[in-house]
Amino acid sequence: MSADYSCLVVEDSPMMRQLLVFALSRVKNLRVTEADDGVDGLRKLAAAKYDIILTDINMPIMDGLKLVKRVRTDPMHKDTPIIVITTEGSEEDRQRAIHLGANAYITKPIQAPQVIAKVKELLKIDR
Amino acid sequence: MTEKKAKSKRSDRPPTDLAAQLKTQRDSFVHTFFKKGAEFTEELMRENERLRKALGDLEGENASLRTQLASDEAIRDLLRKIASLEREKSTLLSHVHEAEAVSTRFLSRHAQIEEELSNLASLHVASYHLHSTLRLPLVVRHLRELLAQIIGARSFAIYVADESMSELRPLASEGLEADKVASVRIGGAEIADFIAHTIERVFLTGDPFVSDGSLADTSGLIACLPMKIDEKKLGVIVIFALFPQKEQLVPADYELFKMLGLHAAAALVGAGLFTGSTGKLPGVEALKGLLGAEDARGERGPPTVAVTPRLDVDQEAKR
Repeated sequence: MSADYSCLVVEDSPMMRQLLVFALSRVKNLRVTEADDGVDGLRKLAAAKYDIILTDINMPIMDGLKLVKRVRTDPMHKDTPIIVITTEGSEEDRQRAIHLGANAYITKPIQAPQVIAKVKELLKIDR
Repeated sequence: MTEKKAKSKRSDRPPTDLAAQLKTQRDSFVHTFFKKGAEFTEELMRENERLRKALGDLEGENASLRTQLASDEAIRDLLRKIASLEREKSTLLSHVHEAEAVSTRFLSRHAQIEEELSNLASLHVASYHLHSTLRLPLVVRHLRELLAQIIGARSFAIYVADESMSELRPLASEGLEADKVASVRIGGAEIADFIAHTIERVFLTGDPFVSDGSLADTSGLIACLPMKIDEKKLGVIVIFALFPQKEQLVPADYELFKMLGLHAAAALVGAGLFTGSTGKLPGVEALKGLLGAEDARGERGPPTVAVTPRLDVDQEAKR
């Protein structure tokens, strides 16, 4: 069965990535692709179009803020909804991410229902 | 001819005046009679007309009453229908309320199941990653991520006892000033400091300390969890503070704490032993040999394991 929506999860922590993938598996007809960091994320974005992107901010090689900036300048993905995942003490990062074009943010520790609700909201999926 | 003879003979005819008088009286009577008859007839006609009119009025009234009666009947029908519809509406509303209650119960149960699934996923992911490697820095990194990103601990420390079990030393920490991660003496003099005292007590008794984690708690200690393996004490995990967005501990955190006490110790010991070894995984023969040796020990229990993970792991894991 083909998925109706596709999602790219960019997160360097395998543990967090697995948790995010689990949460997103609860969204019907959503195919999830994983990326280890911003560079890997960009590589995957160049190869395919995604309906939504979830990215951590603090990552090695290329952080989430740079990724948001690059995505917004890419004609293929400039309108793709982006959710940034932040930790405590990064209000500045959150504001910067929103300013750069992120659509929403989620703070850690993540709650699966919260992730699901935000993704559904941005994808305009009925509950 | 005969009558004329008789009249002339008897001469009993009334005199002419009388006859005229009688004629007048007769005419008058006839006139009056016919006049009265005409008047009576007229009166009868008028009466008939009046009665006809009255009949017409009554018929009109009757028709009106019939219409009104029909109208009243229609209204009564409508009222009966309205009452029936009201009953139907009430029944339907009752069904709707029941359906809404069922729906609410289902939604609530669904949310509860989703939360339970999420908690189970957290437990699965945490234990999976703790045991996914035998490299000590990775085990510690996973412990850090688990504490910070799954539980939401802003500052914490992982203490491991030294070989003489006289001191608990920090193996790794996060979000703490250097003086906050000082070693804790075990079995020494009475410790006045609440945190140090709690750390020592938890290590010695094996009973965890967990506050409600609320913002109102100012003890400076959220949780202190013993790390044990086969009832042998390894150390403790101490959580000093949570992230501001984590307002308090939730049921899933208590489950994670239980899991951490067992799995963190096993993961650290396994990684510690592997790091201290040649780094080669044991083959089946080696495992069989170990299994036989273990069986031969019988009820004496597992061998004592010297657990001394390298303390420079903190810096390595941070890198």
